[in-house]
Parts: sequence; C-alpha cells; structure tokens
Amino acid sequence: MRDRIIEWSGFALVLTIGIAIAAFGSGYQAQTLFTAALFILLATGWNVISGFTGYVSFGQVSFFGVGAYVGALAMIHLDAPWYGAAAVAALGGIVLALPLGWVMLRLQGIFFALGMFGLARILQIVASSLDITGGAMGTTVAVADSVNECALVMVLAAGAALVGTYALMRTRLGLRLMALRDDAVAAQAAGVDTAAVRVTAFCISAGLGAVGGALYVWNVGYLDPNSAFNGTIELQTVLMVLAGGIGTVWGPLVGGVLISLLSTALWARFPMEQQIVLGALTMGIAVAMPGGIMAALGRIGIVRRQPICAPDVAAPAEAAPAAEAAARGGGPILSCRSLGVAFGGVVAVKGVSIEARPAEMLAVIGPNGAGKSTLFNLISGFTRATQGDVVFAGETLAALHPHLLARSGIARTFQTSRLFRSLCVWETVLLAAASVGRSRAAAMAETRRILAEIGLWEQWADLPDTLPPGRQRLLEIARALALRPRVLLLDEAMAGMSAQEIERVHAALRGAMRRGCSIVAIEHVLPAIAPLAARVHVLDFGQTIAEGVPHQVMNDPVVIEAYMGVDDQEPVHGAA
Amino acid sequence: MITFATLCVLGLLWGGVYLLMAEGLNLIYGVMKVVNLAHGDFIVLGGLLAFSLFERGGLTPIAAFPIAAGLLFLIGMAVQLGVLEQITAQGPEGELRTLLATFGLSYVVANASFLLWGSQFQSIPFLQGAVQAGPIAVPEGLLVCSLLAFGVALLVHVWLTRTITGKSVHATAQSALGAASCGLNIRRIRTLAFALGSAMAGGAGALVISLIPFQTSTGGDLTVQAFTLIALGGLGNYPGAWLAAELLGLTEVFTQYYLGSNAASAVVYVVFIGVLIFRPQGLLGRVGRV
Repeated sequence: MRDRIIEWSGFALVLTIGIAIAAFGSGYQAQTLFTAALFILLATGWNVISGFTGYVSFGQVSFFGVGAYVGALAMIHLDAPWYGAAAVAALGGIVLALPLGWVMLRLQGIFFALGMFGLARILQIVASSLDITGGAMGTTVAVADSVNECALVMVLAAGAALVGTYALMRTRLGLRLMALRDDAVAAQAAGVDTAAVRVTAFCISAGLGAVGGALYVWNVGYLDPNSAFNGTIELQTVLMVLAGGIGTVWGPLVGGVLISLLSTALWARFPMEQQIVLGALTMGIAVAMPGGIMAALGRIGIVRRQPICAPDVAAPAEAAPAAEAAARGGGPILSCRSLGVAFGGVVAVKGVSIEARPAEMLAVIGPNGAGKSTLFNLISGFTRATQGDVVFAGETLAALHPHLLARSGIARTFQTSRLFRSLCVWETVLLAAASVGRSRAAAMAETRRILAEIGLWEQWADLPDTLPPGRQRLLEIARALALRPRVLLLDEAMAGMSAQEIERVHAALRGAMRRGCSIVAIEHVLPAIAPLAARVHVLDFGQTIAEGVPHQVMNDPVVIEAYMGVDDQEPVHGAA
Repeated sequence: MITFATLCVLGLLWGGVYLLMAEGLNLIYGVMKVVNLAHGDFIVLGGLLAFSLFERGGLTPIAAFPIAAGLLFLIGMAVQLGVLEQITAQGPEGELRTLLATFGLSYVVANASFLLWGSQFQSIPFLQGAVQAGPIAVPEGLLVCSLLAFGVALLVHVWLTRTITGKSVHATAQSALGAASCGLNIRRIRTLAFALGSAMAGGAGALVISLIPFQTSTGGDLTVQAFTLIALGGLGNYPGAWLAAELLGLTEVFTQYYLGSNAASAVVYVVFIGVLIFRPQGLLGRVGRV
C-alpha cells in the first residue's frame, strides 16, 4: 500500500507540474516540456518491447519516423486535426509492426537489435527517395496554433501511456510478457502463445512511437528523413529507460525527467559535446547500474513491483474441491507409436512405443543418455519426431506448437527447473492457470487451491531464486498442474527433494490421478517413484529394453545389465 | 564479354575491401559473442585520422595504415579493459549490457570525430591511375587496398590457426570456461581480440577512405554493412565472411553497372533483410536447436 501511495503521488506531482508549465509557461519552457514529454512517451513505448518483453531494439525511431510521416500525410491530404493525425499514425505504426513483428521477432538477441537498427536506416533511404514524403528535401505541414497547446497534449499523451503501461502490467498479458522475457521455452510449456504475445507487445510499442512522431510533426511543422529517423532520438530514448530502470513501469518517467533536464542543460552550455556525454552515460549505466534508479530504490525496499492479480491473503484458504469422478480404465489417453528422432547421425530415440492410461502413473526409467528427456520433448512438441506419431485423446498430433499442446492437456516439467526469475510463486502458477481459458477469478481460485495442496501457499509472494531447490521443483509441478492436464510429464521431478517434499509431491500426484490425470514420470532411479507407478518402461540407447510392473522390471536381468553392465573386462571406476 | 570480366574482377576486389572492413567485427564476435556497434565509427575514425595525416604530413594511406591501426588498438584496449571487462554478468544479460555499452560507445566515437573533423565528406586522392591487365583496366587504389586486405585477412587467419596465441584466442572463442580451465588468461585474450578487432577497423578505414568518401555519420551504415557480411557468412565464421564479402562485392558492382548507383547503395540493405528473414544462421552456419 505504501508503495502505491509513493508511486501515484510522485506521478501526480510530475503530471501537475507538467500541466502547469504547459498552461502558464513561456514558449521556451513549453517547448522544452514538449520535448521531454515526447521522449517519455517514446521511452515508455521502447520499454514495452525491450524492457518487459526482453527484445532490445535499436530502431524504435523507425516507428517514430513512420508515425511522423503518416501523421504529416494525414494532415496534408486528409486535412486531419492533430488527434486525427495521431490516431492514423498509431494505426500506421501498428500496421507496419504486424508483418514486421512476425519476421523480426523470430530473431534472437543481437539479430533483432541490429535488425531494428538497420530498419531505421532502410526507412530513411525509402523516405528520401519517395515523392510522397517530399524526398530528401522534406515536407511542411500546418503547425500547431501554440506551443503551449502542443505541450499540454504531449504531457497528457505521455501520462496516458504511463498509466496504460501500469494497467497492462497488472493484467495477465503483462504476466505473459515477463514470462516470455525470463524464459520463452518455459512460457510455452505454461501454455503461453509466445508469438502472439511478442507481436502484441511490438504493436503496442510501435503505436506509442508512431503517436509521438505524429505529435512531433504537429509541433514543428516540418519533416525530413534526417529528423524523422534521427539516431539521437534513439540514444535519448534508450538512455532514459536505462537510467530510470529497464522493465519497470515508472522507469521511463523517472529517467525521462532526469535525462531531459540533463540534456537540456547540456544543449544550452555544450551543444557540441551533448551527445558524447549522453553516449558515455549510456555506457556507464550499462556497466555500473543496469537496473537504473528503480532497481536501486527496490533494493532499499521502496516501490517494488507488486504481484499481478495478488490474492486476498486475509481470506481463509479453501479446501480442495471434491475430485471429479475419474474414468478409470478405458483406453490410453496418450500413446506413442514407434516414435523416433535423430540429430545428425545420432539416433536419440528409436521406435519407442508407450501408452499412458488415465488415472495411472507410468514410470520411464533408464541410464543417463537413454533418450528419456528427448522422448518428452517429442511428446510436448519442443522437438519434431522424424518417425512415428503421438496419439492424444484419440487424435494424432502433428507438428502442433508446444503452447497448444500444453493448453490441450499435455503439461510438462523440465529436467533442470526452468522458472521465471521475475515472477513470484503466485504469478508463476497463475500464468499457467490463466492460459487455459479460465476467467480471472477462476484462475485465481485454481492457483490458490494448487498452492495450498502442494504446500507453497505460505511462500506465495516469494521469487523462485529465494526458494530452496526442492521447493523450486514443487513450484514447477504446481505450474504444470495449473494447466489441469490430462497427461502430466514429469522429468526427474523428485531429484534433490527432501523426504518431506517427496511426500507432498506424492500427495499432489495422487490427487491429480484421482481426478483422472495420467502421469508419465521420468526418473533416473526407480525407488523415488515406485510406490505410485503402475507400470514401468525402461529405455536404453533410445530403445525400449523392458516394460511391466515395477517389481518385475527391477528384477529383469536386461535392466540390471543396462544399469550395472555385465562386461567384466572393463575396470570398474567407482560409481556406475 | 570484356565488360563482364572487368565487372567480375572489380567485384572480387571490392569484396576484399568489404572483407577488410568486416573482419575485425568477426574476430570480436568470434571471441566475445558480442557485436561492437561502434565498429563502423572506428572505421570512420581511422579513415579521418589518415585524412589528417595526409593533409598535414603528406602521408599516404599505406603509411597511415599502421598508425591508424595502432591508435585504434590502444582505444580498443582501453574500451575493453575500462568498460566491457567491467560487465560481470554472464549469459544473455551480459550480452545485452555489452551491446548497450557499445551502443553508447558508438555515439561517443562518432561525436568525438564530429568535434575534430566536422561533418564534411572527406577523402584522400591516392593512386588515381589504372593498371592495365590485358583488356581489363583496374583502378590502382582499389587493387592496392584489396591486396592489402587479403594480406591482412591471411595474416590473421595464419595467426589464429598456426600460433599459440592465435590458438588461445580460438579456444576462448569456442569455450571461455574450457580455455580458462586450461590455464589461459581469458581476460587478456579478450582484450587482445577486442584491441585487434578495433585495430583492423582503424586500418581498414585508413585505406578505404581513399576509395569511398567518409563523413562522421557514415559509421552506422558501415556497422550495418559489416554486420550483414559476417551474419551472411555465419557469425564468427572466417571463410564464410570471405565468401559473403565476395558475393556482396560482385552484387554491388553488377548492380551499379546495370541499375545505377542508387540501386547499388540499397544492395547491402536488401541482403541484410534477406539474411535476417531467410538465413539468420548464415550461408555456412548451422541451425541451432532448443
């Protein structure tokens, strides 16, 4: 609560000062304010794609430039007023971002950053060579009546963008953005359509940039390719977010106010050296204080990010709802038919057929490198099979995206836990609970139920890094269970757990099986899973070597050979 | 036929020049998995330095080459030790912060050049004649630059594959952790690689300014061009970069001849987009998997 008071009173103060200057300030003051607010708007847009979603772009100025040109054309040819021009520009930015996002966002890290960097230069060349943009000479439009009006509009636009981001980061979409940034693979496994989320964030970011461009043209009344795609804009935008705090709601505002003051002061005294100082500052912040001011405040306990859709802690934890009558027996829910895959010349899995039945656990065991995890990757869609197929609930799965499989009822955990470092326990489970089409309230209730059942409710607000390894594994299982799976794939989920934690997991798994969930559990060693497993499937070198009920498999000489070896010619080096 | 042959020769020679401008970036990427966004600005700085040496001291670009390379070596060393080595984060966060730091660096270098040399286009009139090889005429300057470029590329290649220091750099490129556990001082190796990569940028600039006029804002375009080349070749892949440079040289020369210079200046961007869309792993690269 205290944090929220600090946040909003700070915001209200800055906004009031901005409006006051816009209303009563001199022309020079209003113009300076306009520029500062413009940069805050641009920084807010950059922060959505680069901060929250984790795709760092060095070409946000592209959308500013496109918005400026679209806005100018709307003013010239459609006689649009400023708000009309801004709306058309926003639309233009989004229309450009849709196909561009589809191409660009498949790229990773450096490629995306430099792709956007190159895009700004390409657009500059295009703008210079087209007639409609006025070519390299530029074009003029009717300028706004007064600078004060411009400043007021810009302050309100930047304020609206900030409030919009604040609201966005309290929704489930905000949750998905951060999950994508932290670990795209785990986000897919939690049912997040990462491609759609990325493109959405990219469009929001582009729209904000384009509005900034249109209002800029309205303010200066003139536009040429050099000013539309100016690298200085990029530098200041990036620097503001870095200084304030990348990936925080208020970072662009805090950094924007500070850097605007600094760069205005520099411009007045040392216009030639201004950019050297700003560039050096960017270097310094990237090296010495990557989280910016907001992270520094967070470390001393002020204005931390609040959990999204936080639960009402005062309400008593509900008891788990009665298990739905489970259809025991019947046909298998999931069957793999002679599944296989090869990487180059290495055959990782070959001709494996397994069947998972409802309300029953199948254990898959085998020595290191037997192909167990690869088998899971094939079933959950992270790796394409080169032979065989998977039949789930009577349908053959062909080349479905992992997130669709996760939503349709195949949930999984990972061998080494993959949690989201910036999402707390509550948010991690909520993310999965919300991705299977529940309402907000239902997802929250489900999250609460699962956390209570698995024994993580007390730690609902903790970040994964602060949990002991056993608890991290529990959290991953909770995330998978929140998808309400019909098949749960556990990849060595019990490794590194205390006896007490194993007991909790067993209880949770029994509960899931009572509801009819089928469980396929990979374990390196059988005893951890034997009490629950109805059947055991043993893999070695990518192939099935034995299957049956646990005690029978454990005494099978072929299985013992796979684990212990029979060849006495090799000297025994300690552990097998 | 003679036109075709001439265009091919010119294209291959220009390919050498492009290779020279991209090779330093490739070396740095290979070792540190980071793209130095100030690379193009280093090239421009080296070029403008050579311009001043020519104007004030009458030094030819070939004489200026070692001076520009030496100065940029020192600058590169300072940047690596003073800035990039200070970023201790590992993995994607470390890469990201390094990228942001070089983004800031590019503005520092470009605007420092602007303070010293202003914003005019500058060039050095050097070896303006032509060499006649049978029916084909080749500009002397281009020939000299291109041969030097190949010489430097070859030297670097031999150094990387035949000497102990070069092999240490190679080892660090493949696995920094592995190299460190073999007792290599990877901090020194990274510094050496970054300084050498910067030196190659500076040297390239000193030569290339006699072929292409530079202004301080050219740096960004040169960075994109160099990145396009090494991405097309497969990041960190030396033979790939050479192949990509020759392809780009040929494409540009032919486009220039048949479609004019406006189209030719867009070629690099078309290739750039093509690489990003169709082959981010490069011509000779392999597709990574999750």
